[in-house]
Amino acid sequence: METVRCRVARFASDLASLSARLPPEHINTAPSLSSTPPPPFLYGCCSKVGRACALSVLFFLEAPLTHRTMADPDCDFQTGESGASATYPMQCSALRKNGYVVLKGRPCKIVEMSTSKTGKHGHAKVNLVGIDIFTNKKYEDMCPSTHNMDVPDIKRLDYQLVNISENYMSLMSDNGDVREDLRVPENEVGKEIEAKFEAGEDFLVTVISAMGEECAIATKIKQKRPAVGKKAKRGASWKFTLDLTHPVEARDPGLYQTL
Amino acid sequence: MADHAPSVAMEAVLKPSCDLPEDMPKIKGYDFNQGVDLHAVLKSYLTTGFQASSLGLAIQEINHMIEKRLEPVEAEGNECNESGESPRNSGCTIFLGYTSNLISSGVRESIRYLAEHKMVDVIVTTAGGIEEDLIKCLAHTYLGDFSLPGKELRLRGINRIGNLLVPNDNYCKFEDWLMPILDQMLLEQNTEGTRWTPSKMIHRLGKEINNTESVYYWAYKNNIPVFSPALTDGSLGDMIYFHSYKNPGLVLDIVEDIRKLNSQAVFAKKTGMIILGGGLVKHHIANANLMRNGADFSVYINTGQEFDGSDSGARPDEAISWGKIRTDAKPVKVYADASLVFPLIVAETFALHADKLTAGKKTD
Repeated sequence: METVRCRVARFASDLASLSARLPPEHINTAPSLSSTPPPPFLYGCCSKVGRACALSVLFFLEAPLTHRTMADPDCDFQTGESGASATYPMQCSALRKNGYVVLKGRPCKIVEMSTSKTGKHGHAKVNLVGIDIFTNKKYEDMCPSTHNMDVPDIKRLDYQLVNISENYMSLMSDNGDVREDLRVPENEVGKEIEAKFEAGEDFLVTVISAMGEECAIATKIKQKRPAVGKKAKRGASWKFTLDLTHPVEARDPGLYQTL
Repeated sequence: MADHAPSVAMEAVLKPSCDLPEDMPKIKGYDFNQGVDLHAVLKSYLTTGFQASSLGLAIQEINHMIEKRLEPVEAEGNECNESGESPRNSGCTIFLGYTSNLISSGVRESIRYLAEHKMVDVIVTTAGGIEEDLIKCLAHTYLGDFSLPGKELRLRGINRIGNLLVPNDNYCKFEDWLMPILDQMLLEQNTEGTRWTPSKMIHRLGKEINNTESVYYWAYKNNIPVFSPALTDGSLGDMIYFHSYKNPGLVLDIVEDIRKLNSQAVFAKKTGMIILGGGLVKHHIANANLMRNGADFSVYINTGQEFDGSDSGARPDEAISWGKIRTDAKPVKVYADASLVFPLIVAETFALHADKLTAGKKTD
């Protein structure tokens, strides 16, 4: 019959053998969190089909995305206003700084995130501090790391500013649609928009939309692109036509050397 | 010629003494030739000397408290305090205070015995004293060793309290049990206008745990108020903190509690303090007794020393200077670990007079 003392001594030696097996400083490293690799960014492909395939892959990926959607009259992924896709759940431990999360019903960008391990306070918990992307108010929340939190579906779209009338902006999207339902925002971005418009500058307005709300958040210098209505294709400068009616030598005898 | 011892030394060593009075107690320990009679062993402690004598005196002091408690009291209807309970029902209101490590240890069973049979009237403890008792109803605490290395214990997620071990999982179970109760408490606060105080919360937790092994279950059953002004200083506080993010708005009022505790002292006929440990539990009870110009009976059991001027280490004499103990009282301090001596004290005091103490309750 083992005495109390022997049993405790056996436990102490078990502890020592356990530490020999585990890597040192194991406890001080952050818990290994399952991280999904960031989705590939899409800047544009030459082929319309390739772009459509890549866009459809992006559309169904679950991680929070910040991407630019290319306007394409054939597959239009811009409008997705159904309330069902406004947020999706994600495990708290998979959230990252500079990601997005819904805090107190507001879509927020995470500015601080700290995890406290399981201990006297119970299960491991994540402390999140986020800033509302529309109102810039700070929100704080605490969540057990195994619970799910809602992540808002953020869409960023660039529009060209056509006109400002009665404080409402006329914005033209890449495919030619004009919308006039957005006000000039009350902050520095709004002032910047007005100033640039007065100066007659040609620029784009980035509109962020999440959970049924939309707001202009930045201006961007317009990149050199063909006029509205035409698709912007890479390699458009070296477009060539294939003329099969005449032999090659007849067009430019010096250019192509026969082998 | 023989060497005489130096006269200075002789006079110093063989200095004649004056006679001590005859009735001075003589030192005589227990003779095991009489067999092993633990009751007699504890009785002999009084004449054994050092802390054994202090323990013997503490047992005597507590027995005086119990004697006074058993004295019949005329019902004085106009002396009820606000909560409607009259402390004057008892000839001596006994305040029991203990630190949380004692609840983690097996002394919890002795304390539970006192609460079960309503042998004490007021309990004061720290947050750990509440949660450790509730957690023990959900999961066990284990015996370990003081020398177990902290690093390895942390790797296994085991917390050490002295030579006791508490797995982290116990606190997870506590969290899962407590959160719905906090939600319910918040709901009642918002809908029924309940003003929660730490003592009301502990009363509610005792009701919810519904386990006869728990001190606070019996405190709830026997209407013994349990005060813990620093209720947030422990796992309970962590849970309340996290809960305030999910469901904000819970308010705990310590003002109402201090009124209640001080009234228990002020309107009492006589009071006795049994304080195990130092810190908040010691001062809070002593201060409440200050309101009635001092407790009549007092027993401190702690390991504190007074050389640093701390309140935890202060002797009862210091409390007399504050008016927390009556000037004509005979308080006792036992310098000992309560885990060693408190079960022995209960054996010689409360458990000995158990039938008399519980007889009155049965006829109520």
